[in-house]
Amino acid sequence: MSETSTLHAGAVGHHDDHGHGHHEQSFISKYIFSMDHKTIGKQFLITGIVWAIIGGLFSVLFRLQLGYPDQTFPILETFFGHWAKGGQIQPEFYYGLVTIHGTVLVFFVLTAGLSGTFANLLIPLQIGARDMASPFMNMLSYWFFFLAGIVMLSSIFVHTGPASGGWTMYPPLSALRQAGDGQKIGTDLWLIAMALFIVSSLLGGLNYISTILNMRTKGMSMTRLPLPIWAMFFTAVLGVLSFPVLLSGAILLLFDRNLGTSFYLSDIVVNGEILPNEGGSAILYQHLFWFLGHPEVYIILLPAMGMVSEILSVSARKPIFGYMAMLGSMFAIAILAFLVWAHHMFVTGLNPFLGSVFVLLTLLIAVPSAIKVFNWLTTLWRGNIRFTPAALFAIGFVSLFISGGLTGIFLGNSTIDIHLHDTMFVVAHFHIVMGVASFFGMFAGVYHWFPKMFGRYMNNTLAYIHFWVTMAGAYLIFWPMHYQGLAGVPRRYLDKKGWVSFNQFADLDKMITVVSIIVFAVQLMFVFNFFYSIYKGRKVTTTNPWEANTLEWTTPINPGHGNWVGEIPEVHRWPYDYAKDGRDFIPQTEPVGANESKH
Amino acid sequence: MATTATVHQTKWWSGGKSPFNLEYGKLMMWYFLMSDAFTFGAFLISYGSIRFSQNFWPDPNVVFNAFPGAGHANLPLAFVSVMTFILIISSVTMVLAVHAGHKGDKAGVVKWLFWTIVGGVAFLSCQAWEWHHLITGEHAVLVDGKIDIIGQTMRGNPWGSLVSHDAALAALQNTPHETLVNLAHQSNHGSSHEQLAALTDKDLISKINLDELHVRTKGPIAFGGYFYGITGFHGFHVFSGVVINIVMLMMTQKNVFQNRGHYLMIEKAGLYWHFVDLVWVFVFLCFYLI
Amino acid sequence: MQHPAFEEVTIHHEHADDGTFYKKVKKTTLLLSVITVIELVIGLAIYNIHKGENPNEFLILAFKGMVCILTLAKAYYIVSVFMHLGDEIRNMIMTIVVPLLLFIWFIAAFIWDGNSYKNLRNTYDKHFQESTMPAKHGTHKEEAKPAAPASGKE
Repeated sequence: MSETSTLHAGAVGHHDDHGHGHHEQSFISKYIFSMDHKTIGKQFLITGIVWAIIGGLFSVLFRLQLGYPDQTFPILETFFGHWAKGGQIQPEFYYGLVTIHGTVLVFFVLTAGLSGTFANLLIPLQIGARDMASPFMNMLSYWFFFLAGIVMLSSIFVHTGPASGGWTMYPPLSALRQAGDGQKIGTDLWLIAMALFIVSSLLGGLNYISTILNMRTKGMSMTRLPLPIWAMFFTAVLGVLSFPVLLSGAILLLFDRNLGTSFYLSDIVVNGEILPNEGGSAILYQHLFWFLGHPEVYIILLPAMGMVSEILSVSARKPIFGYMAMLGSMFAIAILAFLVWAHHMFVTGLNPFLGSVFVLLTLLIAVPSAIKVFNWLTTLWRGNIRFTPAALFAIGFVSLFISGGLTGIFLGNSTIDIHLHDTMFVVAHFHIVMGVASFFGMFAGVYHWFPKMFGRYMNNTLAYIHFWVTMAGAYLIFWPMHYQGLAGVPRRYLDKKGWVSFNQFADLDKMITVVSIIVFAVQLMFVFNFFYSIYKGRKVTTTNPWEANTLEWTTPINPGHGNWVGEIPEVHRWPYDYAKDGRDFIPQTEPVGANESKH
Repeated sequence: MATTATVHQTKWWSGGKSPFNLEYGKLMMWYFLMSDAFTFGAFLISYGSIRFSQNFWPDPNVVFNAFPGAGHANLPLAFVSVMTFILIISSVTMVLAVHAGHKGDKAGVVKWLFWTIVGGVAFLSCQAWEWHHLITGEHAVLVDGKIDIIGQTMRGNPWGSLVSHDAALAALQNTPHETLVNLAHQSNHGSSHEQLAALTDKDLISKINLDELHVRTKGPIAFGGYFYGITGFHGFHVFSGVVINIVMLMMTQKNVFQNRGHYLMIEKAGLYWHFVDLVWVFVFLCFYLI
Repeated sequence: MQHPAFEEVTIHHEHADDGTFYKKVKKTTLLLSVITVIELVIGLAIYNIHKGENPNEFLILAFKGMVCILTLAKAYYIVSVFMHLGDEIRNMIMTIVVPLLLFIWFIAAFIWDGNSYKNLRNTYDKHFQESTMPAKHGTHKEEAKPAAPASGKE
């Protein structure tokens, strides 16, 4: 062993040379084609913010239509031309908006923007590595994501409009060019963008996994990893195993669209024309899609969960309650994520008995989820909580995760799902539990690690306004949708005036629309705060502003490429030694004292 | 340093080292192959799903029974077994190339990589022939009460169930002249196309040997889509594997690995190549055997 | 040692000496070839059962099951010997093998639902049933006849 340990004594990571010498880099290699994980993380974050604004704006537009179906808004025609003829959103445009809103927020913002940002930023910093295992592939991962974004963006500007088959892109609608304008070139671009996105997420995921496994600093055993890292690890595993299945499904869909195959098509008549396709199964696409689609939910949620665990522990000045239970529940969630996909398909004609197996597996997810919630609450319990904006958002996450998770138990039952599927109830459920909750995790992460990213603080007053308005707004927008859904109001409908029974919700819809505009405006305020603080925020003066234990706070305030000046610190303890032996916090780098109590 | 003793003493997970004793590149390659296995898995499983949703599925031995140069001889499984052996042998040569790399034996790496590339190219050529044969094949199929001549494409499948003699004869009455000429030509290679074209439909029908023609109904369309889709995707992997191997060969020739002091890149290329072989084992199973 | 390039690698593999190595490769190649030949024989057996009158469905299924198992054996040898996974330490083997277990439910659910889709259509879609169900014995004499399959008619 002796010879190998001398080999290790230097440092981990292959890029030590970058860490020590601060050699000058050109603007392009420093900010554009950067291979520094921190810069790549920022690139993911800023691109994600741009996409979030686009996706959010689209939701405001279709909320306008839902809240005020009769009113005309001439300004829309100014901006969108024939898509909003006479100031009213046209049906094709409406479906395009819904589709791009879903795709962009699920994939570009909450997958790439969230886990791309924080996996890149946190993995090397928190495990004690100079950079990712392969910085080059890491850079490629971002640029594939960027390219996917360009293709997706261009689909909005083609003459026939963007894809409008819903973010799930179900055939036969999405497989037939003649089915509508949105099914023409827009859908092809959508599929190409998704293929590029999958390449990006694979490059990223492979990198995250091998970095976490191979690049940990000395003493950083797997059970000493901070919880965000574990979350990113499971996220990457989920992505690496499930995205390829979507790729297969998308390739088959491209074949059906362009080469006349019949994978998903059977017995179809469009505009009186009988199509020659026979023997395909549209359900098959849904199986393939949801084999990715369900793990995707956890790809979105797990990083938020991990970061919230970390932030709650830091803010409550208490060790995280049940570290091993957290790991176990994340592991259980990761496995179950692969076994439950068909609960999205109870009413497709799925074999009912098979469906009941999926019900059982689905309801099992409640167990690890409940364990996590319990652990978060007990971490906060009797803590000396510092209500920083990050802490507030983390607590908000827990609240949203509980409210949204409970309705998941409703929907996981196939019997109830038959009534509730494709209603606003589903919209409310997944927006609360996965959309807004993950956004809260992301906001918490941004507020918490902003000092590490830019060496400055964000403005607290704006942050508190941001939190309270968003928190209240999220419930005001989505809580009433449950009642709409229970009453049978369908999702994705342009106009519900035709149903007398739905007219009772007209005022409610107006209220939701008004609140969503306010919430959107507050998000713009957050974006302003973000960019303003990069340049004008209060400067960080200490390396460890939150008095946290993890390794990222042992780096300089503005770490260069390579993160640590000199050697990478060794790790001697787990990351949650708060309020221990009369001390407020004990960093991971501190050796264990002789008569220290066990945690 | 006794390897076995250290394996048991090392605290693999304590940080500062790879818990698997592997450099990150190889780890990434393994996990990439894992995710690629899910791509292929999804293809093959969706093929299985469609196949189980059909009342009829063609018997692969009926579809894949040709051999280059053997004319119309009925040789089920013969050609594909040649393809399978080509891939197995090229996998073996790759193993030898990797082994030569371990020893730092440049000449050995070059030699075995070369044979691996030859194997890959041979496999691709076989696949090209098989595709061409299937696409241009002319099979009598009963469509809408008349006989049609179609090949195996992504849109059409001539391998339905056999049509009875009487039904085929009835269908011939409705079949257009030009198709009849082609059908008669299949049974009477002696007569030229022009001679046959001059005959009446009735004479043509009498010249057609229905027992030899094996008129079938149309089979499930997805059969062709999956066959070309999956073998094509596999072929694309073989092709990219060949390209990777050529790059490796050139890098070896230029002493890149010699100077680097290790041939780990060859190992990674080898993993990829074996994976291609591995996938073929399952493609072979799903399309040709069952 | 051969390559000091990667610090994370603790123990450099002691590669087997040429003799054992070639023996192992030869043995595996032979095994793969023999298994493939057995598969081919079974494939031809299935073909001949198909040709005969009243094919024995159970026998065909049993043969197909055997081929599947043989294929898994082949896959095992390729991964374990050719890809050297068998030479890696146990943790590594586990991280590769365990995720593959997901395929069990992946395959089972997809096939199950495919089969159910067939039953649904046969029940509710008469056109589908009539147009795709292979004719039963009696109506189509040709079917039962040991017909040499149509070869490509170039």
